[in-house]
Amino acid sequence: MPPSEIRPTPRQLAIESAPGGIISVDDSGRITFANREIHRLLDAAPESLVGAAFDRLLSPAARVFHSTHVFPLLKLRGRVDEIFVEFVKADGERVPTLVSATRTVMEGVGVNHWALLTMTQRKQLEAALVESKRTAEEATAAKDQFLAVISHELRSPLSAIQGWARIGMSDKIDEATRFRAFETIERNAALQARLIDDLLDISRIVSGKMRISPRTIDLGPIIEAAVDAAKPAAQARGIALQTAIDAVPLVIHADPDRIQQVAWNLLTNAIKFTPAGGWVRVLLKRDSSFLRLDVADSGKGIPAADLPFVFQRFWQSKEKAGPAAGLGLGLSICKTLVELHGGDIRAASGGPGGGSTFSVQLPLAVPMAKSLAWSGVTTASDDHPFGISLDGIDVLVVDDNQDAAALLKMLLEAAGASVRTASSYDEALAQLRASVPRLLVSDIGLQGRDGLELIRAVRAGEIPAARSIPAIAVTGMARPQDRVTMLRAGFQAHLTKPIEPSEVTALVQALAGSPRDDRPREGGPAG
Amino acid sequence: MNAAPAILARNNVRVTGSGPRTLVFAHGFGCDQNMWRFVSPAFETRYRTVLFDYVGSGKSELAAFDAARYATLDGYAQDLLDVCEALDLNQVVLVGHSVSAMIGVLAANRAPHRFSDLIMLVPSPRFINDPPGYVGGFEQADIEGLLSLMDLNYIGWAGTLAPMVMGDPSRPELAAELEESFCSTDPAAAKIFARATFFADNRSDLDAFRHPALMIQVRDDALVPATVVRYLQDQLPGSVTVTLDGSGHCPHMSQPAATIDAIEKYLGRVDAAV
Repeated sequence: MPPSEIRPTPRQLAIESAPGGIISVDDSGRITFANREIHRLLDAAPESLVGAAFDRLLSPAARVFHSTHVFPLLKLRGRVDEIFVEFVKADGERVPTLVSATRTVMEGVGVNHWALLTMTQRKQLEAALVESKRTAEEATAAKDQFLAVISHELRSPLSAIQGWARIGMSDKIDEATRFRAFETIERNAALQARLIDDLLDISRIVSGKMRISPRTIDLGPIIEAAVDAAKPAAQARGIALQTAIDAVPLVIHADPDRIQQVAWNLLTNAIKFTPAGGWVRVLLKRDSSFLRLDVADSGKGIPAADLPFVFQRFWQSKEKAGPAAGLGLGLSICKTLVELHGGDIRAASGGPGGGSTFSVQLPLAVPMAKSLAWSGVTTASDDHPFGISLDGIDVLVVDDNQDAAALLKMLLEAAGASVRTASSYDEALAQLRASVPRLLVSDIGLQGRDGLELIRAVRAGEIPAARSIPAIAVTGMARPQDRVTMLRAGFQAHLTKPIEPSEVTALVQALAGSPRDDRPREGGPAG
Repeated sequence: MNAAPAILARNNVRVTGSGPRTLVFAHGFGCDQNMWRFVSPAFETRYRTVLFDYVGSGKSELAAFDAARYATLDGYAQDLLDVCEALDLNQVVLVGHSVSAMIGVLAANRAPHRFSDLIMLVPSPRFINDPPGYVGGFEQADIEGLLSLMDLNYIGWAGTLAPMVMGDPSRPELAAELEESFCSTDPAAAKIFARATFFADNRSDLDAFRHPALMIQVRDDALVPATVVRYLQDQLPGSVTVTLDGSGHCPHMSQPAATIDAIEKYLGRVDAAV
């Protein structure tokens, strides 16, 4: 212990070690006192600051501000509060600080005393606030612009409808003209209906109320239907519309109306932005465990700088395609719909004039659908309800609600499946460890560790033999983002309670048909 | 002269002291005529002293601020000439701090008869470096940094400038005046003044300048490096330079006695020669 006479007094301790810099400066600008903390803040060697010029510790801008504003004020007024300046460390690093200063005059000698608090983190916070303010302003501007676009876009078809309705009511026109009037009215009413649908979709997406009604479907016919619907428009514009769709069933668990909406949107965009004499190609094929839908065109393309923004709401090509260019909502709706299906959408382009390709990936409901005799699903088996046979399929049902588990067990057993049940995360893992069934059906809202944690543990290889077991999630009402979470966590499909018996058996059969990597197949639909 | 009262109010002109000659004190960027309170009283017994605020600074009439006029130093030189005309001043000694030294050069070039001598306190004809030949001490980015600092600090500037008594019992007569705000500055006008000051290049104006001049420099000036002092001495060979010890850019506030002494010595020589 040091001798008591050199032990610092409480006042000295406070001044030297308080978490703020204290500096005294005389009127000639020389530092007459600097506490230990300011040496630390500025990375200065201990005791090195006394005698140095105060100005030299400041950034050039702060030096000017000090000379022209702070020092005169301090001298005249005796006090300056809460000024932001930047100090500079020996290595050049800037230290943003908040400073206040007071002035004392003793026996005619004036001394200015500075207290500094660093505000590195505050500055970051400030920068974040400024950034969020800017973002909010941009969003407001985008909304204003959107309102302007909306009123224009809704008004255009309306004026056509009004104008042609007046012509159609006239008794001085011939039949051909009257027919043309009705045709124009119908076309514009359809255009407006589509705009309103888009608006409602966006409203649902924004409020988190967008729902999809997925079923097990073969995507091929749906895409073909969308292409057929787009043919007249392509022909009218002199654009070659080509399709290449894999001949095998391309089965996904999806909402057919919504997927068709996506395809239709991509197709009409491609046709809209492709000049006469160009082509639009639609490609649908399997790509490992995904379905891939490509819509490519030879149109005007998208500048590389715009590519990251094409799926943003209200984004519009700078070169509008014409009077009915739309609201800039279609692609953003497509993206949301595809993501609700656990899929992914991307845009690529060869740049201006180089055409564009939009690619949609959707998870296959049955990863190896090719080897599956798809007709098995639809061929009625009279022995079972709903004409579906689950013979030879073993299922593990996980639900902490006994009644719900019993209902599922009964339904599946009625179709011929053998069913085990578990009521918790731990019990489910124990069952899987004992033997791996063909299929896992799990409630999400389990007590303790939930169904999401269960499927993540399974996919992470907690029980190696069960790593790739097909799995169906069962929940009550799910928000779209919940659905995305479930699919991303590792479930192949999702069922909403109350369960539709025909839906659950069809889904189980479709998924159980997939062979697994980790054990030889034991018969099943594809035998 | 009908315009005179309007100019005197517009520029908050204060005339005190008496004597055969007149000293006009012109403040620099950032404050107002209050800056001279430690220097100008020393001359009141022998000289007529004139203080004023540029439009946009201190207690000038803000309504008279015209962004286009005050975007360059010419606008401020016109303020100075307007004050001289309003008071019918000729052959005055101008004491100009910092940017006002160059404003004085512009005014003297335009109306030489108004001025007999210029006393330049820490002058600089250009603050921004102009490589390879000229080192002004600052980069363009530093001045942009100053402008953003002003933005940040002017948010609370009005509060900072709230009246406050410094409490100097030995000079009670000061108290009432001190209760008024100091250096009050309109933020928009201040930024325009900052740009006019720090983006100015008055090097070529020195060629036409023929008046006798005293330059008072500070050895370690935060805004004026030694290179600028040497440049000015080369360009104004007939001038006298006095260099004060210490640091800072406001010797009239930090070292008023030494500043008064330098001005008095120069004026004594001038008076003796007259």
